Amino acid sequence: MAPELQTAGHRAVEVLAGKLRRRQVVGSREAALETVLVLRQVVSRARFSNINQLVGIIRDVGRRLSEAQPKEHTVGNIVRKVLHNIREEYNTATRGTAAAAAPVRNVYSISKFVLQGQPRKQHVAPRSEATASLKENDPNDPDSFARGIKPVLMEAIQDVLDELETVYDNVSKNAKDHIHSDEIILTIGHSKTVEAFLKAAAHNRNFTVIVAETGPSYSGHEMARALSAAGISTFLVPDSSIYAIMSRVNKVLLGAHAILANGGMFAICGSLLAATAARTHSTPVVVCAGQFKLTPLWNLYHDYGALDFADPSSVLGFEEGDLVDKVDVVNPYYDYVGPELVDVFITNDGDHPPSSVYRLIKESYDDEDHEF
Amino acid sequence: MSQTTQDSNEAIYRAFERLLEDEQLSPPLAAILALTELIVGSNAGTMFELVEALKAAAEVLKKRSSNPISLNAGCELFIAFVTLFPHESDSFAELKTELVQQGRRYAAEAISFRDKIAESTLGFIKDDSVILTHSYSRVVMKALLHAHKTKRISVYVTEARPRGLGLKTYEALTAVGIPCTVVLDSAVAYVMDRVDFVLVGSEAVVESGGLVNAVGSNQIAIIAKAANKPFYALAESYKFHRLFPLSQYDLPTHNPDILSLPSLPQRGSGTDSTPSSPALRATDGSPPSKTAVSSARLTMTAEQIARNPGVDYTRPDLISLVFSDVGVLTPEGVSQYLVGMFAG
Repeated sequence: MAPELQTAGHRAVEVLAGKLRRRQVVGSREAALETVLVLRQVVSRARFSNINQLVGIIRDVGRRLSEAQPKEHTVGNIVRKVLHNIREEYNTATRGTAAAAAPVRNVYSISKFVLQGQPRKQHVAPRSEATASLKENDPNDPDSFARGIKPVLMEAIQDVLDELETVYDNVSKNAKDHIHSDEIILTIGHSKTVEAFLKAAAHNRNFTVIVAETGPSYSGHEMARALSAAGISTFLVPDSSIYAIMSRVNKVLLGAHAILANGGMFAICGSLLAATAARTHSTPVVVCAGQFKLTPLWNLYHDYGALDFADPSSVLGFEEGDLVDKVDVVNPYYDYVGPELVDVFITNDGDHPPSSVYRLIKESYDDEDHEF
Repeated sequence: MSQTTQDSNEAIYRAFERLLEDEQLSPPLAAILALTELIVGSNAGTMFELVEALKAAAEVLKKRSSNPISLNAGCELFIAFVTLFPHESDSFAELKTELVQQGRRYAAEAISFRDKIAESTLGFIKDDSVILTHSYSRVVMKALLHAHKTKRISVYVTEARPRGLGLKTYEALTAVGIPCTVVLDSAVAYVMDRVDFVLVGSEAVVESGGLVNAVGSNQIAIIAKAANKPFYALAESYKFHRLFPLSQYDLPTHNPDILSLPSLPQRGSGTDSTPSSPALRATDGSPPSKTAVSSARLTMTAEQIARNPGVDYTRPDLISLVFSDVGVLTPEGVSQYLVGMFAG
C-alpha cells in the first residue's frame, strides 16, 4: 500500500478537488496550472522508498482530481505528463546504478518485440554524480532514495510548469507564417490561445477577423472587443450567418477544449457548425491549442453525457413560464468535432495533422497511465 | 539432404494441421507453434542454417494453405524475432531452447489477447446497440459475448457466402441469448440504416492500415462509410502484416483464375453446350428456348465458386478504428508497430 499522503499535500489536493467540483476553476489552462502546483507540493512532501510508491501516490491524486471534475480533461493530462516525466528522469538517474545490480538476464519476449520494436541503443548522458548512489528500499535509511531523487523530480515538474506558462507565446511563435495579408479569418468563442495567436500575427500582418457571437454565452462579444482593442479590424456576426459568409472566408481558426486520441476534439458549441460549413467550402480549419490538451481517451464522444451542459435559462429564461413546463431545454457547452473536419493543430510544440495525434500522445504519456 | 528436408517439411505441415484442430488457435499462432517444433527437431548448428530452415518451412506452409496471408504474418513475426532480436545465450543449443520457449509462451499469451480486445471494445458499445458483423471471427465472438454480460446488444450477421460461416456466428450468439438475424450478403445496404456500427474480425491488418478479411468486408465498409456509420476492425497484434496492396488484385491470394471470363465457342460455329451454362447465348439471335431457362441451376457450381475470391482488401480511409491488444489504434497507427519490428 502506498504510504499516506502528508497532511499538507493531502489538504492541497482536497482544496483543489473542491474547487473543481464547484467549478471555481474556470478554463483548461487555469485547471492545468493549479494541478501542477498541487502535484509539486505533493511530491515535495511525499515520503517514499521506491519509485512505485511515488507513482502510486501521484496516481491516487490524479484519480481524486479527475473524479472531482471528469469533464475537465486537462487535470488528468497534467498528472499523466508529470508521471511520464518522472519515469523518464528515474530511468535516466538509475541507468548508471543498474549495471551495479546483480546481472539480470534480460528476458526478451515476442510480445515485447511487437510493442517496442527492435531494441535500439539508448544514448543517455548520466545526469550528475549525486544520483549515481540511488538505492531503493534501503532498510537502514528509507528516505535516502527520496532525498536522492527529489531534486531531479522537482526539475521534471518545473519543466511541465514552464511549458504551461509559455503556452501562448509558443503557439503564437509562427503566427505570421500562418496568416497572410488581407486574409479574412473566421473564429468563434473567446479562446485565449486564438486571441494571443491573432494578436501576434497582427504585429506583422494586416488582416480582418470575423467573430461569431457564439450564443447563448455570447463569448464572441468579448473576443471582438479584445481584438479590436489590439487594432485588428473585426466584424461581429450572429451564428446564423456563419454558413452564409463562409465563401468569403479564407481560414477558420478555432480553439479547443480537449484533443482526443483519434484526432477529434471538444470545442465550444458552434465549432461543429463552423467546421462543417468550412468543409463544404473547402476552407482550411486550423485549431490552436496547447499540448496539455491532448487527452489519451477515445470513447468519450459516444456518450451524450460526456459533453458538458450549461445553464438552460440562458436559452429559455424562466420568464417564459408557460413554455418552461412544456419544453425540454438543453444547453450543451461543447461540440465534438471529428478528425476529418480539422486540417491542422497548431500547438506549442509544432503543427500536427489530426492523423498524427496518436503519435504525440504516445510520446507524451505512458500507456499504463491512461486509466488511473 | 533434400529427402530429409522434404520429410521435415511434411512433418511441419502435419504439425500445423494438427495444431489448427485446436479451435482457439488461429493460423498465425499455429504457424508459430509449428515453427517452434521445427526448431526442436532441427540439427542446425548456426543461426544462418536455422533461419534458412525456418524460411523454407514457412514457404511450405504458405504454398499448401488456401489462405496464406494471416499465416504469413505469423511466420514473418517469428522469423523477425529470431533474427533481429538480440539474444543472450551461452550456446546455440541453449538459444534454440530459449526460442522454443518464447514461441510457446507467446502462443499461450496470445490467447489472452482476445480478452484484452474484448475489454477495450466494451467501452464503444452502448446499451441497445445494433451491431453488424461479417462471417465468423473468434475475436468478434469474444467481444460480443463479453459485451452481452453487461449490455443489451442485438446483432445482424451476414451469411458470408460461399463458406456460410455467418450461420456459425448465428448459432453461437442465439445459444447465449443475443438476438441475432442472418442477413443476405446483398442486403447489407438495406440493413445499414438500422445498424449503429460495424464490427469485423480480420485475417491481417496491413501496413497501409487497411484490412484483409473474408470477402464482403470491403463492401460492408463502403456502405458503412456512405451511411456514416463507424466501422471497427478487431485484430490481434500478430496479424499485423508488412504488405502494402495498392488494389484488390495486389493481394497474394489473387491468381489469374479469379474473376476470369470463360472463353466460349465462336458465334455461328454450333450450338451452346448444356442448358445450365450461365453464359447461355443464342447463336442465331433467337431467344433462348424455354426448356433451357427452366432447367437452369440456381446454385453456383464448385467451379464457379472457385472463380471468386476468398478475401478482399478494405482501404484504411474506410476504417474508423482498429482494436488490438497493443491498444486502440487509428489505421495510421498500425504502421508504427510494423516499422518498429521490421524496418532497420
